[in-house]
Amino acid sequence: MTEKSNLEHILTSGQFAVTGELGPPKNGDMEVVRRKARILKGHVDAVNITDCQTAIVRMSSLTAGLIALSEGVEPVMQMTCRDRNRIAIQAEALGAEALGIKNLLCLTGDHQKFGNHPQAKGVFDMDSIQLLTMMRQMRDERRFQCGEEIKGPAPDFFLGAAANPFADPFEFRPRRLAKKVAAGARFIQTQIIYNVEKFARFMEMVRDLGLHEKVYILAGITPPKSLGMARYMKNYVPGLDVTDEVIQRMRDARDQRAEGIQIAVDIIQQVREIPGVKGVHIMAIEWEEAVPEIVKLAGLGPRPEPKGVEPRLVSQQAIELAVSQAGEQAKASIEQGLEQVKKELQVSTELLAKEKDRAAQRVAALEKELQEAREMVAEKKSETAMLVAELNEAKNLLKNAASALAAAPVQVQALNPAAAAGVALSGQEAALTSREQMALNALKQGLAALRKAMNLTEDQFEAIKQFLEAQFVLYLGAPMGIQAGQIPVQPVSTAVMPAQPVADVGATGRSPLQQGQVTASIATEKVEAAVSPVKPVTEPVSKPAAAVVTGAEGMPPCPEGLTQEEWRNKWLIRLIAKANVCLQRGDASGAKAFFEQVLALDAQNARAKAGLERIAAGLVPTPSAPTSEALKEAARPVAEVEQPKAEPKPAPEPVKEVKPEAPVQKSEEKAAVVAAPAVQAASQPLPKEQVSLAERCGQVSKDLFMEPCSASVRPVTIGDGPKAITVGGASTLPFHLFEGEMPYAPKVAYDVLDVQPDEWPDVLSRHYSDVFSDPARWAQKCVKEYGAEAICLSLVSTDPNGMNRPASEAVKTVTSVLNAVDCPLVLWGCGNAEKDTETLREVTSHLGNRRVCIAPLTDANYRSLGATALGMNLPVVAATPIDVNLAKQLNILLENLGLPLENVLMDPSIGAVGYGMEYTYSVIERIRLAALTQQDAKLAVPFICNIGREVWKAKETKIASSDSLGDQERRGILMEAITASALLLAGGDLLIMRHPKAIEMTNVLVQAMM
Amino acid sequence: MIIAERKPLNEIMDMLKGVSRLLVLGCRGCVAICSAGGDKEVEILASAIRLGCKKQGMGMEIDTDTYIRQCDPEYIEPLKERGRQYDAVLSMACGVGVNFIADLCPGVRVLPGLNTSFYGANLSSGEWKEMCAGCGACVLHLTGGLCPVARCAKRLSNGPCGGSVGGRCEIDPNVSCVWFAIHSKMQQMNRADDLMEIMPIRDWRTAGHGGPRSRRREDLLS
Repeated sequence: MTEKSNLEHILTSGQFAVTGELGPPKNGDMEVVRRKARILKGHVDAVNITDCQTAIVRMSSLTAGLIALSEGVEPVMQMTCRDRNRIAIQAEALGAEALGIKNLLCLTGDHQKFGNHPQAKGVFDMDSIQLLTMMRQMRDERRFQCGEEIKGPAPDFFLGAAANPFADPFEFRPRRLAKKVAAGARFIQTQIIYNVEKFARFMEMVRDLGLHEKVYILAGITPPKSLGMARYMKNYVPGLDVTDEVIQRMRDARDQRAEGIQIAVDIIQQVREIPGVKGVHIMAIEWEEAVPEIVKLAGLGPRPEPKGVEPRLVSQQAIELAVSQAGEQAKASIEQGLEQVKKELQVSTELLAKEKDRAAQRVAALEKELQEAREMVAEKKSETAMLVAELNEAKNLLKNAASALAAAPVQVQALNPAAAAGVALSGQEAALTSREQMALNALKQGLAALRKAMNLTEDQFEAIKQFLEAQFVLYLGAPMGIQAGQIPVQPVSTAVMPAQPVADVGATGRSPLQQGQVTASIATEKVEAAVSPVKPVTEPVSKPAAAVVTGAEGMPPCPEGLTQEEWRNKWLIRLIAKANVCLQRGDASGAKAFFEQVLALDAQNARAKAGLERIAAGLVPTPSAPTSEALKEAARPVAEVEQPKAEPKPAPEPVKEVKPEAPVQKSEEKAAVVAAPAVQAASQPLPKEQVSLAERCGQVSKDLFMEPCSASVRPVTIGDGPKAITVGGASTLPFHLFEGEMPYAPKVAYDVLDVQPDEWPDVLSRHYSDVFSDPARWAQKCVKEYGAEAICLSLVSTDPNGMNRPASEAVKTVTSVLNAVDCPLVLWGCGNAEKDTETLREVTSHLGNRRVCIAPLTDANYRSLGATALGMNLPVVAATPIDVNLAKQLNILLENLGLPLENVLMDPSIGAVGYGMEYTYSVIERIRLAALTQQDAKLAVPFICNIGREVWKAKETKIASSDSLGDQERRGILMEAITASALLLAGGDLLIMRHPKAIEMTNVLVQAMM
Repeated sequence: MIIAERKPLNEIMDMLKGVSRLLVLGCRGCVAICSAGGDKEVEILASAIRLGCKKQGMGMEIDTDTYIRQCDPEYIEPLKERGRQYDAVLSMACGVGVNFIADLCPGVRVLPGLNTSFYGANLSSGEWKEMCAGCGACVLHLTGGLCPVARCAKRLSNGPCGGSVGGRCEIDPNVSCVWFAIHSKMQQMNRADDLMEIMPIRDWRTAGHGGPRSRRREDLLS
């Protein structure tokens, strides 16, 4: 006896069960099943795997069930009598038992007339009730249907069946259910319920027969995906009772999908109240994504942890077998690779040794320099001390003289008339006294030594030097300046401090990224520390300066020995120096005040004017920014020297630069934060990486990080005249500009619909609602207001399942748009191969020389549309389901037709983020790799990605703003922009998008990366 | 009765390529009653073939005849000799007749003029419907005399399925649901409870899945 199935466990333990449904694909793609299973996983207790539902050939239910099981989702395998006789059914049952299937739903099956092979012979060896008896006999009596004993494990399934409460004769329905129970059904899944009232009557009759005690009844629930689907079910599906109320609700709904989900939730809540209903069976047909939401909204989640859901095929033995086989295969290739690696190792070892020597030499040289610098600093310090002593002596002398002459300030000032511009001291030095000159020279030498020791660049050094000189001149030159004689020394000693953080970083930091960040933050702190001690000094200094102000021009009286003109010039220079010091500290208002004083004295002073302009333009540096930048730069070489010293072992590895990523994302997010409230605001361009990868990789040899491609993608031109755009042409993977060229930047086309869209969320449509009525004005708005470089005109109204507008109307729309805008145009049909052939053929004869791109060409209509495009020399879009081989095949077919691939763009079918984008990404990437590295010329074609259409149909873009999900518009923009950025990285060349802000962000990103 | 219908004329003309002497041979059994292969139909077909030959520029000598039945040896006995005079004999009997001639008349090339359709009844003039599948295991006593094997699209033994709506079958609204009818009939006879009995899995050997069927009655064998 095998362990109970999870579904049986849930039902027998009295819990309300939730089952889902998974329709296997009409191809051999395992991923489809896995993807659907992952969507449903955790939201349902078990999943029905349909058995060629509506008699359409699909992957078999046993196989798909096993795939679901491998994803940890318990399957309910459906078994119909339509396609198998008793021999086949029992054989399948044995296989299912062997591989761990535990639930079996016994059905007669839809008649083959409904499917894609109506000519098929319907087997119908037995009906669903007889199938139940057979399966029960196999389980309970361990006998085949013929009576022969099953020796060994027999199929042991939790058996289920279906019931339709809405079929006729109504009064017989509960009795037929009783027959199924008698035949062995333990659970029942009902037909889709919309008419709850009728279902309640059915259940009443079921209870009258006492069946609710004998069988677990799961009510069938299906969310209508659209009004069209609801109508179809009402009119064309026999035995389905869709009420008028449901139709009306769908018709009135603004968001039909959301309403469909709500209808399902409402019905679940109603049927839960009906006695005897033990669970629900949610059949979201080709809409598995809806199930988690329905379960959540109906208050049925989270589901209990499933029990006993284990794929048997992945047994330990199987794994061991696979491992040993793979091992043998791998062995050969490893041995082959070993030789290669050995060679490489030797080369790297040699390289490493060289690097080591070089580093050691550099370290030794630097240590020597540092020692010299230290000695020099010490020397200069003693010199400075000597000078200070001399100054003090002079001061005393002056004091004496002052008391003798009784004219204090004038004398003192005569001693220190030094003044200098904060920015450039040269030329002003003549104004200093010889002692001050000496002190300044000493300081300069000290600084030069410091620069050498710290390996500062010219610019960084200049910045520090200017700052210090300005301080020096300012304080030394102030009326009471002699007391501040210490000051020039103080900044020097603090400025040396960054050597400390550098050492820290050298010890802790490893990656350049970390290093940069750590150094920067530490340096900022230190610089602030370096600046702040100066502050208290400035204030007392400037106060007396103000106190001395007497003359009408705000200038102290002219000291003896100087002409009025000379003194005025000196004073001006001093004021400018003060202002520049303020600027350096980020004190804009202080600087402004000083500059204004200068202008009051000399209205023509260019420096003061320039300074004020800088303040007005907001170019005042923040207190830390420039200095921290300088210190960071100063820190880097030291840190780089320290690294090889600390870790001499690792071979010089190519440093993949992650650096630009972080700032890009950050600023993008910032832009988005701004986006929601003010979408029109222009995004700032993102900072570009200025340093080439080769430089960033330093000594690492190029062949270690470069894998140049050997082929290139064909460039395709759309449109005519100066506004024509060209995409593709890349000879490298997207944005790998260090390896090859991307001569043409990816482009974005604005999606314009030929009819007012009814399913766009308001946050998107509000940008276009004024022009919805006229596609020509809409396109114009995109070009004029948003700067669109291309337009994609989607002819959705021609869809025969929708408005079914004739080709002649499409011609009118297209010509009006062509007349309204002169940018390149992509014409996107409705997706119905036959109708698109008709429409696009008709339209192409009215395009003139515009080189409009027509889309989509599929395997169903590539001949006719391809011939048209060939005749008119138009670019086309080859659209295929998401598959590398299908994409290639269509390109080959087009080429065989005579259509040059220089005129072809590929649409490999894409999914939005969260909707299978990873699959899209890998297919696009695989195609691009085949084109570039394996010279697969048939795939060397640019990609077009219809992103807007996919993103804006996702429910995430339609759910209103809320605390938990955030602003709806921002969410939509980000979803579109992120999908776009990911597909750009995969290889997208021409993107079709909708939201202007998302497009703007995408363009900003492209600019920054090119 | 066996219901049959004449093959399309084009198909017949294709069969007759290279035939210059033809016998169109009718049957006064079932096919005469369902107006597919009796005297009248033989003459109509013969005229049509003549016209067809004329149109295609073929020369063909055509004789006509109709036997009482083509499924009894005594009636087709004369054909053993006569048939050899013709390049082909176009039988307008059901498939039984064609087979029987092929079996019994060596040297005679027999061709089918009809498609044999089903065992049915004549609802009204020009309308026939299948009523029996010849499955060899009749259950009509359990189903109010209405056959689920011949008349249910899925040959259900325990119907009606969930596609029965308003007495109509899901595959085509022009087809009535036999299980709906069975239920009504049994109710009328106050025997609806009989339908609660689960009909067991059928043995399809008698329906031909056990190989070609034959029957012998010792008492009648000569």
